Amino acid sequence: MLFDICFMPISSQNSVYCTMFSLMEKQEDPEPSTVENGSEKQEEEKQVKEETLLHFLDSTDSYLTLIDSISSTLRQGWLELASARHDMGASRVNTALLDLKVHSASTSVQVSQQDADSMFAQHRFLLRKWASSDDGESFSAEEKSRENKLPTESDSQLRHRNSSHYSEKTSERNGSPLTLDDQVQKQRSKSLSVFGVLVSPRLRAAQISFETALEILVEIANMRSTMLATFDQVHEELEGTQR
Amino acid sequence: MANRPQIRTSDSALIAMIADEDTVVGFLLAGVGNVDLRRKTNYLIVDAKTTVKQIEDAFKEFSSREDIAIVLISQYVANMIRFLVDSYNKPIPAILEIPSKDHPYDPAHDSVLSRVKHLFSAESVASGRR
Repeated sequence: MLFDICFMPISSQNSVYCTMFSLMEKQEDPEPSTVENGSEKQEEEKQVKEETLLHFLDSTDSYLTLIDSISSTLRQGWLELASARHDMGASRVNTALLDLKVHSASTSVQVSQQDADSMFAQHRFLLRKWASSDDGESFSAEEKSRENKLPTESDSQLRHRNSSHYSEKTSERNGSPLTLDDQVQKQRSKSLSVFGVLVSPRLRAAQISFETALEILVEIANMRSTMLATFDQVHEELEGTQR
Repeated sequence: MANRPQIRTSDSALIAMIADEDTVVGFLLAGVGNVDLRRKTNYLIVDAKTTVKQIEDAFKEFSSREDIAIVLISQYVANMIRFLVDSYNKPIPAILEIPSKDHPYDPAHDSVLSRVKHLFSAESVASGRR
């Protein structure tokens, strides 16, 4: 069985590679049962190696696709920010207004490890958007709330505290009429308030764009982790066959 | 077991940024800004006055902090400290190179792709640079 891997650039601008590889199998002659068991085992090992290689190539392709996606999302965000600066004035949208008082990040990342016992462990990143600093509750429910428009096999999930089940529990405990969506909006407004009370709608749009960019970046981080783990596996297998 | 790097897991880790003003402002709008008790921020705004030493120090600091999971760095800034970025090989924090307004993303300079590209043939790497 031979591997033949070649990469072709789709466009010179973004250098996205499309991969194609062909397998050529030998026809196996009928053999005695003991030798058959050995060749079956070899077949399985080769299949695992092929799957690892495929996984690596897929993750690399997804990584490059996600990079294209983040580029266009960031461009949109910059354009909206520039429009907001034009509307509100350069003195109202700049870094001199940034809050340097002690405060913790509303948006953070949860890191976990997959296959901890394996030599090629991968990390999984999970974005936690607009976690309220007042709320000490931890939510165990996770929902795949984002439509995955990108051709990735990433299993990254977005944790939004907008599940109606938990919103009822929260309002029962605190006696507050605020739903989780309201809390998220409150956090967003707090973040925008650094630039004044009345802000341009373009600044709000920029905020949404950069939130989307964060989601894509977390997917990129997951894809990077997969890529490096599978690369290490393939590299080790290649070195093993060359010896 | 002794040869495996220590793996960090965290429930609430930060995203650090080393980028230009607009990129940092945008991500701060999205709520990633953090200022600790020592008044240290999780971001560095790079402008014309920022020195390479400051960028190096910020990169070293962010990549060694336990509470940071991802470091976003504009690719043109990463090019200034390329030797440092390419020699970084820890899984956490993940160093992600992002484009900036004036400098579009170039996969040829990406440190992650540089690490894996030697698996590809020399022809495809050269043709990708056209």
